Amino acid sequence: MDSTHFPAVTIVLFLAAAALVPVTVKKTAYSVKKIILPVYIAALIMSGVTLADVQRNGGFTYDFGSWAQGLGIQFTADAFSALMAVMIILISFLVLIYSFRDIEHEIDPGERAGYYTLMLLVVFAMLGITYTNDLFNLYVFMEILSIASCGIISVKRKRENYLAAFRYLMLNTIGSLSVLMGIALLYMVTGYLNMTEVYLRIAEVWRTYPRNILIASGFIVTGLAIKAALFPLHIWLPDAHSSAPTPSSALLSGLVVKVYVFCAAKLLFKVIGRTIVISLGIPTFIMYFAALSMVMGSLFAIGQRDIKRILAYSSVAQIGYVFLGIGLATYQGMAASMFHIISHALMKTALFLSAGAVIYSKRIRNVSDFNGIGYRMPVTMTVFAVAALGMVGIPGVNGFMSKIYLALAVLNAGRPVYLLVILASSFLNAIYYLPILIAAFLKEQPGRKNVMEMDALPASMLVPMVLTAFACVVFGFYPLLLMDIIDRAVPTFFLFK
Amino acid sequence: MTFLRHVIDHINYLAAAILFVIGLYMVLSHSNMLKKVIGINIMETSTFLFFVSIGYVAAARAPIIESGVDEALYVNPLPSALILTGIVVAVSITAYSLSLIMRLYQGYGTLDIDEIMEMRSEGGDG
Amino acid sequence: MDDLIVRTVTRIVVPFLQLYGIYVVLHGHLSPGGGFSGGAILGASMVLCTLAFGLEKTEKKFGHRLSALLESGAILAFVLIGCVGILAGHTFLTNQRAGFFMGEFGSLLSGGMIPLISIAIGIKVASTMVTLFHAIIKEK
Repeated sequence: MDSTHFPAVTIVLFLAAAALVPVTVKKTAYSVKKIILPVYIAALIMSGVTLADVQRNGGFTYDFGSWAQGLGIQFTADAFSALMAVMIILISFLVLIYSFRDIEHEIDPGERAGYYTLMLLVVFAMLGITYTNDLFNLYVFMEILSIASCGIISVKRKRENYLAAFRYLMLNTIGSLSVLMGIALLYMVTGYLNMTEVYLRIAEVWRTYPRNILIASGFIVTGLAIKAALFPLHIWLPDAHSSAPTPSSALLSGLVVKVYVFCAAKLLFKVIGRTIVISLGIPTFIMYFAALSMVMGSLFAIGQRDIKRILAYSSVAQIGYVFLGIGLATYQGMAASMFHIISHALMKTALFLSAGAVIYSKRIRNVSDFNGIGYRMPVTMTVFAVAALGMVGIPGVNGFMSKIYLALAVLNAGRPVYLLVILASSFLNAIYYLPILIAAFLKEQPGRKNVMEMDALPASMLVPMVLTAFACVVFGFYPLLLMDIIDRAVPTFFLFK
Repeated sequence: MTFLRHVIDHINYLAAAILFVIGLYMVLSHSNMLKKVIGINIMETSTFLFFVSIGYVAAARAPIIESGVDEALYVNPLPSALILTGIVVAVSITAYSLSLIMRLYQGYGTLDIDEIMEMRSEGGDG
Repeated sequence: MDDLIVRTVTRIVVPFLQLYGIYVVLHGHLSPGGGFSGGAILGASMVLCTLAFGLEKTEKKFGHRLSALLESGAILAFVLIGCVGILAGHTFLTNQRAGFFMGEFGSLLSGGMIPLISIAIGIKVASTMVTLFHAIIKEK
């Protein structure tokens, strides 16, 4: 089996693992390890080999069923998708290791097998969206992702979880149906569902049926904006991400919304094409809403008291950054937004995992109870501090590098107004992250002195947190490790400039 | 007269658009959760109707190959096959949201989402 | 429901329903239908049994353990059939070039892997329908 089979085999491996879990897993979550560890190690090796292969030889396509392009479903592994796949597999691996001990206090024993099935299905669907080159296949994977991600919210049997999952499901389904309408309109005029084929024909279609392309792009952008939580359409996000169990919140905030943004970039630039998108005026539109997102997300987070709700609103703001980069429609904008996708995934995972560790061992969720907790759980709060400083934009963490890249892209595109928005948003980020750090390390709990003691956490929870924070710092000092790969990947995105 | 002819020629697009908007209005404005689910179903029906009607070729036969008939004009079978998958997805979403509604009714005692939001803001669920 | 007429008519009708469902599943490559619709018909026949005879009796015949095994087995069968294409040197889910038995065009035993996959999908969809219905009906 040569390495072109690896993308399809990885995806199928996750599906088979998700099918095996309900049948073989008995009472505790530990027996899931026997299935998850081999699958993930195989998946990591395969996606690493794919990434190296794509770096050396350029992208390749993989036809399912040996049907020719335009007749059957195709997977394409280019530099962007290989990088996203490695990131998805790595971060979900760390979150799953963390969840082995963490779900003991959140989910009843009878549900745990179902929880892991759903998590594996979420990873399966995310990898499918990243690799696919077919429009309807994209819709099917999006639906699997939306139902599975509602599942990992509502598996915790509290009534606010049900409410959050219901709202998430309703809004997500409206988004998916919008995208399906857009896909139907594109299929109507081009006659193909394969993304490359549609792209080849869209130039002449734009001459004969301009209004059709306009309506199709409107449907697609609106649908994906609902699912990726762009400003006015983000109302499902705070409830969903804050009431879910911690590993689910980390996966949802760190990976799922990003995959939808990546999907929006793929549809706008690889299917409809950069020139048509600019002449429709979509990038300016996206940039207005992205700027609103960046400011309003942070403003909403300032007044919150529950730590997970703060992190959820902060996700809304950070998605604004990524949309700003995409809305610039230049090479540097795409590179900056891709870098921010990866660095925010690492930082937000670190934040959610450390907040979850605090909830796991000390049962406190309210920010005003965080006084002095830096001394009772030093490793956890250090991880939190590193990631929070990255969100604010302190040099040394990868958040700072992504803001620099974004600011350079904004200036080079000739829109200095958005630089002010980036600065204002960083300032607002500081307003709600720094008080948590100050309270954790500098204030004192009444009736308890600040003596340092070790965290009472199992190793399977500590190690993933420390690894994500370590990765944040490494990419903060050596961003070119990642940026080289991204810089070579971006031109393949704007296919024929 | 030509306006009527125009409407009849494009009746499938009109029907899909009207149903989509009716479904969207139901999801967004009604506060009863069952009505929201029905609204989603109407939206899904409109999208599937639109997708299937694209495949129609005027004066063509059904896309089943029979012996003794060759070189005929066939209706495009691809949209129907795709929408079969879409209908299964719609059924799954409906089943899942109905079971969520049942649990919500057991938890809150009402099917009305506005009342639930009031209960949450008074009681302070978190 | 405890109605004598419903129970008697169900006992007569259900075998025909299931036969029709199996027919739709098996002829997926010849006439409209295939895995999804045939599986839905099979699932509907089990739902009819549940409605007529009550939940406990039907759960003895089609319990939780059996449906979990059927669903996982069907997905694994699909995956294994697809992997035959990879082992034969072509891509995933290859049909004719991977050496499946093609047969004569238009007969029942033709089409390579398509009837096999239709059967797997039919079993899975039927089992899912029944599981969903039982889960919603069970009073917790």
